[in-house]
Amino acid sequence: MVRPRSAILVAVLLAAGGSAAFAASLAMNGQSMGMAAIGTPRCTAAGLGVIQNLSAATVISVTVSSLPSGCGNATLQVTVNNLLTSSSGSATVPSGGGSVTVTLATAVAITAAEQIDLVLTGP
Amino acid sequence: MSPIRQIVAVALALALGLGVQAGLAASLNLASQALTPYRTCVLTATPATMTSIIDSSVRQGSATSNFGTQTTNNIASGSGANRRLYIRFDLTQCSPSIPSSATVRLATMRIYVTVLPAACRTVDIFQVTASWTEAGITWNNQPFGTAINNPPSASASDTFAIGTPAGCQNLTSNAYIVGAIVTSDVAAFVAGTATNNGWMLRDDVEGSATVYTQTYSAKNLGTVGQAPQLVITYVTVP
Repeated sequence: MVRPRSAILVAVLLAAGGSAAFAASLAMNGQSMGMAAIGTPRCTAAGLGVIQNLSAATVISVTVSSLPSGCGNATLQVTVNNLLTSSSGSATVPSGGGSVTVTLATAVAITAAEQIDLVLTGP
Repeated sequence: MSPIRQIVAVALALALGLGVQAGLAASLNLASQALTPYRTCVLTATPATMTSIIDSSVRQGSATSNFGTQTTNNIASGSGANRRLYIRFDLTQCSPSIPSSATVRLATMRIYVTVLPAACRTVDIFQVTASWTEAGITWNNQPFGTAINNPPSASASDTFAIGTPAGCQNLTSNAYIVGAIVTSDVAAFVAGTATNNGWMLRDDVEGSATVYTQTYSAKNLGTVGQAPQLVITYVTVP
């Protein structure tokens, strides 16, 4: 039969062990979790080249270059917004990085200023 | 259940529960690491009538004339025949506006060349430090003055090479040039540590015995596919 003192000791050890593991996880991950709001670790912090590819006076696709190999196989989502309309598309970054062209779902007319949002998810 | 078993069960549940939380935290961590958000503002000098983006050449050979309404711009080196290109993009046209706290990752000036010089020439890009207007700028009143090869090449923000010889950085006509990087200048404009008066582009060695001329499409050409552009890629979270 398990004695009450031993049982309490076991319980405390189990809980402490779990807490320690949790604390370790928090210590390791907390920084990253917090950095999601202030500075997320990313596959690149480099400057990416962005070129709009046109058909007549509309943007039909966007070429993103200077992607490092660390972004290989990531999914690149591109959204072009000219304040009147917006359109998106996505493509997979080549495994070795480099450049990728993302075709938009619909063409977006060129205006004086377009905003292009790029989101790399993964790898 | 006996008190002892209850204690053990509670302990196990606590440990398991915390383990699940730790696993969840790890999952959240992976998810947050995977996202790389960038934002790009592309400023395009079109239509021709817009005033927020201005460009003009100045010509030494027509020192008091303004060429702000021309459909082409020139950069040239030649004795008494030097030409410079002034261009300015209004960053406030970006919508949403670029926060002053943003980190500019890359800013590229894109100008469309239609006529290449016969020799591979280096073009210097200088941040302009005084205001000018598209309708008023001339060789004689340009912000950098009339002395050739001034400002010195060493103070250029960036350079690119252009010409027909094989191996030259930009050797294809009727295409946007590559290599005009103005990231640090735009970062200063965004941060408010420098005033945006645009850029001046000149031949690295003005006054050459042989005249070397480059021709670029100007805003007033009104052709979207050849319009001057400034492409700014930035992040709002460093």
